[in-house]
Amino acid sequence: MKEIWAIIRREKYAETKRALDKVGCGAMSVHSVWGRGKQGGFIMSEAESELALYATSAPKLVPTPSYLVAEGATITKPVVYVPKKLLVMVLPDDKVEKAIEAIIEVNRTGHYGDGKIFVLPVEDAITIRTGERREEALTGG
Amino acid sequence: MKLVRAFIRPEKEQEVVLALEGAGFPALTKMSVMGRGKQKGLRVGDIVYEELPKVLLLIVVKDEDVSKVESVILEHARTGNIGDGKIFVSPVEKSITIRTGEVEL
Repeated sequence: MKEIWAIIRREKYAETKRALDKVGCGAMSVHSVWGRGKQGGFIMSEAESELALYATSAPKLVPTPSYLVAEGATITKPVVYVPKKLLVMVLPDDKVEKAIEAIIEVNRTGHYGDGKIFVLPVEDAITIRTGERREEALTGG
Repeated sequence: MKLVRAFIRPEKEQEVVLALEGAGFPALTKMSVMGRGKQKGLRVGDIVYEELPKVLLLIVVKDEDVSKVESVILEHARTGNIGDGKIFVSPVEKSITIRTGEVEL
């Protein structure tokens, strides 16, 4: 059993859900999260970053104070968070690759911010209603 | 690769995030969560807060960077009072960048 974490664009969420339904991986938990990747959030033009300063819904740009910068680390520009959807699925081993392919196919645009998929090991799964354990819990009716 | 989950005080979020960025870890995901620890919430006089708001930071890092991330979080999230939060570290088997299909962080 594996746990799949897919951090994807919000606007691709519905399409991703349908694609996952098609390969039989419809069960998931969904969270709305804020995040950023190794590019440090938006790659913004000067004008856009000016705008973000005044948009009430956007998180404020805060430059990293110099005393917090570790030796050798480089900071290029202040960053903001990007709203994302986090899908969490626990799948039997044989469905993992199928689900990953489905997510990639829908979500790849080729631009920064397409998101990440993480695969974590899971020790046990239990259906509360029936008490089924492990794979049975994922496949049972 | 390891997934570091840090439950921290909401008011410490910005300092921790900036310090992580300063230490070279800009990539993270954050969620607002409600929870309680082994003190079962907070009691102020007759008022009981069963659940308290926390910020959950999710950071996936290479194995060798885990201790660095931990120490940054510990240093900046610690006040010494109950409710500073917890850090959990779990293994991650695989990480895929959707844009490129890379299987590396």
